[in-house]
Amino acid sequence: MAVLVGRKIRKTYGKKTNSQEVLKGIDIEVNKGEFVGIMGPSGSGKTTLLNVLCSIDHPTEGIIEINGQNLRSMKEKALANFRREQLGFIFQDYNLLDTLTVKENILLPFSISKLPKAVAESRLKEIVELLGIKDILNKYPNEVSGGQKQRTSAARALISNPSLVFADEPTGALDSKSATALLTNLENINKEKSVTIMMVTHDSVAASFCSRVLFLKDGVIYTELYRGDKTRQQFFQQILNTQSVLGGDGYDA
Amino acid sequence: MTLSKLVLRSMRKNLKHYYLYFFALIFSVTLCFSFTTLRYNPTVQEALKESGTASAGFGAGGYILYFIVTFFVLYANHLFMKRRSKEFGLFQLIGMTKGLVVRLIALENIILFVLAISLGMIIGFFSSRLFAMILIKMLEVDMIVHLSFSQEAFKQSVIIFSILLVVILLQMTWLIRSVSLLSLFTAAKTTDERVKRFSIFHMVMGLLGLLLIVYGYYQSTLLFDAGKSDLFNNLFLHMLIILGTTILGTYFVFRYSVALIMNMLRGSKKGHLNITDVLAVTPIMHRMKGNSKSLTLITVLTGLSVGITSLSYISYYSSETNARQSSPYDYILLNNQGIEFLDRLTLENIEYEKETYDIASVMLDIKDLVDDNLKNSPLFSEETTTPVIPLSQFQQVEPSIQLKEGEAFVTSYVNILFEILPLKKEQNIVVSLGGKDVSLFIKDIREDYLLSSRAMYGGPILVVPDKLFEEINTANEQHEIYSQIGINLVHEEDMPKAEEIYSSLAEERQVVLNNKNYTQSSYEQLRENNIAIFGLTIFITAFLGLAFLLTTGSILYFKQMAEAEEEKASYMILRKIGFSSSQIMKGIYAKQAFNFGVPLIIGLLHSYFAVKSGWWLFGTELVAPLVITMCLYVMMYVIFMILSIGYYKRVIRESL
Repeated sequence: MAVLVGRKIRKTYGKKTNSQEVLKGIDIEVNKGEFVGIMGPSGSGKTTLLNVLCSIDHPTEGIIEINGQNLRSMKEKALANFRREQLGFIFQDYNLLDTLTVKENILLPFSISKLPKAVAESRLKEIVELLGIKDILNKYPNEVSGGQKQRTSAARALISNPSLVFADEPTGALDSKSATALLTNLENINKEKSVTIMMVTHDSVAASFCSRVLFLKDGVIYTELYRGDKTRQQFFQQILNTQSVLGGDGYDA
Repeated sequence: MTLSKLVLRSMRKNLKHYYLYFFALIFSVTLCFSFTTLRYNPTVQEALKESGTASAGFGAGGYILYFIVTFFVLYANHLFMKRRSKEFGLFQLIGMTKGLVVRLIALENIILFVLAISLGMIIGFFSSRLFAMILIKMLEVDMIVHLSFSQEAFKQSVIIFSILLVVILLQMTWLIRSVSLLSLFTAAKTTDERVKRFSIFHMVMGLLGLLLIVYGYYQSTLLFDAGKSDLFNNLFLHMLIILGTTILGTYFVFRYSVALIMNMLRGSKKGHLNITDVLAVTPIMHRMKGNSKSLTLITVLTGLSVGITSLSYISYYSSETNARQSSPYDYILLNNQGIEFLDRLTLENIEYEKETYDIASVMLDIKDLVDDNLKNSPLFSEETTTPVIPLSQFQQVEPSIQLKEGEAFVTSYVNILFEILPLKKEQNIVVSLGGKDVSLFIKDIREDYLLSSRAMYGGPILVVPDKLFEEINTANEQHEIYSQIGINLVHEEDMPKAEEIYSSLAEERQVVLNNKNYTQSSYEQLRENNIAIFGLTIFITAFLGLAFLLTTGSILYFKQMAEAEEEKASYMILRKIGFSSSQIMKGIYAKQAFNFGVPLIIGLLHSYFAVKSGWWLFGTELVAPLVITMCLYVMMYVIFMILSIGYYKRVIRESL
């Protein structure tokens, strides 16, 4: 069953004379329970695609449906509600509010919904145990490590039981140990709770945790890889190979 | 690219940031220039010729105004510099020396100042006419205001703002030279806050702040308490204590109490915050450390200016009642002197009503009527000569009042006496009647105005039954003023003619009072005198009040603009994870209500207690002038708040 469907997505920046087409007609489909990675060199349109798919940005052309709902037909307020209730977000720079404690940050999505406190509390308990951040709940973001911040951010993304979680370079600012811990967490949550995750990354190690990886180049999908029954190490090798064909991480060879 | 070209380009690019500073400058010049122009305006000088204190008042007002303006411009410049620190860092990064950057900014500022001074003077020139018309209207003088360009005003404004420019240039030079390249890049970030935990110390200090304010307020109600024997010796010291405790208390409230209360509120939620907590409570809490000083200053300034404006408004507002107290009738004839006034009125066909009073006097010991704890008051003189009138004549004004034998009441007990020495009714007092003591039961303490207050030495009047009055009148020594005829005109339009007759009989009306000659003034003369004195006072204080108000309001607004910019990142996060801008705005409303409301409310409270403690020294009416002044302040603050909310709206809209 497809959670997210995108058809012929185009995105153009700038005015007519000076315009630049970043996405050149992308078709995408994400099924429930998938852990999809999007890879590609800088400037290939990864983040733009993610922003367009998660309704933060509007596509110039094309249709995006999440859970059968067409995003284009929704107004700003409806979109915001939709994001809050159906989607979860994890960003590279954590995007936590400095003035709130870890617990308050995680519960942030509930600050305007009428969810009973007890329900919120039990969900919080479950999620913080899963992510191992139970001990830092009363600390402020500036008192915890980067990895803990990102796990807080993940907890916030997951607390409202979203049908789809978007992660934009979640490991970009983490050291390798924290990154591995976070990805293992995400992989477990994906498997155990069958949460659908879509992650943009340019880190091949991070991508190897996914069940499917899309490669983007110059605004079109170049290829895609399925992990299938391969081990993570084997999948990692496969990703590396594809990347070398694509022209590395930064520039054309 | 030459330096001047670079300056012009960066100014054009920075227009969005400049306009705020630019308006602050223009506004300051306008205020200063119109005030000084007014001071040297021939029409205004003509109108104020009689008042000797006028130029002194204008002079003092001018200095206070310069002070406000200097403070305001320095503050605006400081905020503005902080916003642009990154740009200065960049200039240095590409290889400009610090000296060159200073020259660049100096050039920019000189251009800005020249523009602002010229524009401000043009606006000030025209607005001074408006202010002059208001002043002339207040003084109730019929004059046409002519616009005239005053060279003196021009010279003064140019000098003041040149000095200010030099100060600002020094401030910037110092700033750029003293900081490192790295800190220039982060200056906008290292501003205030950075999250810290709240300790017991904060709690204690927070409580202390509240206590200090309450103590100051309590002391202010005791300031003129006649029960304290050291009242006038330590009046100044008491005022200093009150001032000190309230200001320190205000600071502690902002620095600790606010965060304390909010922290308790927040703690009780156990992490389940609502959108108002997220957007208003927590940011305010964490910014309080950096904001407390400026909020204290703003609060104190607000309190001060509301207080001063209210007091002068009370004086102005009371000019009529004041005059009525001194002359309860339109015209008063004492001891039948100048009785020909009545014939002259009849001759001119002027209709009038008259009431006649016979006045006797007794020695009265007021001590029996005051509270026990006031009995030792230094204000308390022994027995005083008190005028007595018969009940039947009192009934001319208040027919319903009746007295039994042995009863009496006190009236005309008003204002200052009333505030310092409140009398109790239903007490017995003893008056001497030709050497024999007579006990009287005081039924009531009233506030009617009947007799010329000067002629009665400003004291109260005793009203007794007619029979007793006759006895007093025959037994006791005659009062210096033994009769009064009070005359009220039936038609107000006869006033000018009657005034003329009344003053032409000045010599005939003269009586002897305290061994000196005394001529009673008419009600209209007294009122005009009061207006002339208080009209200028209230004009200057209102002008300064306006300057204070616009300054504090603008500073709050500027600060909110800066905060909005700094918190843009938070709004972006919130919008990304699914908060609509209208939901975010709900939190912003609460935040603005706090940022503008709390300084305003505390400031108004301060001014309320300040005015309450001594208002009766200034006039007779407290509520109306105070409420009107406060409402005006609230309205102006609301305008600034709406401006600030509009700015936040834009920032939030742009944040995704």
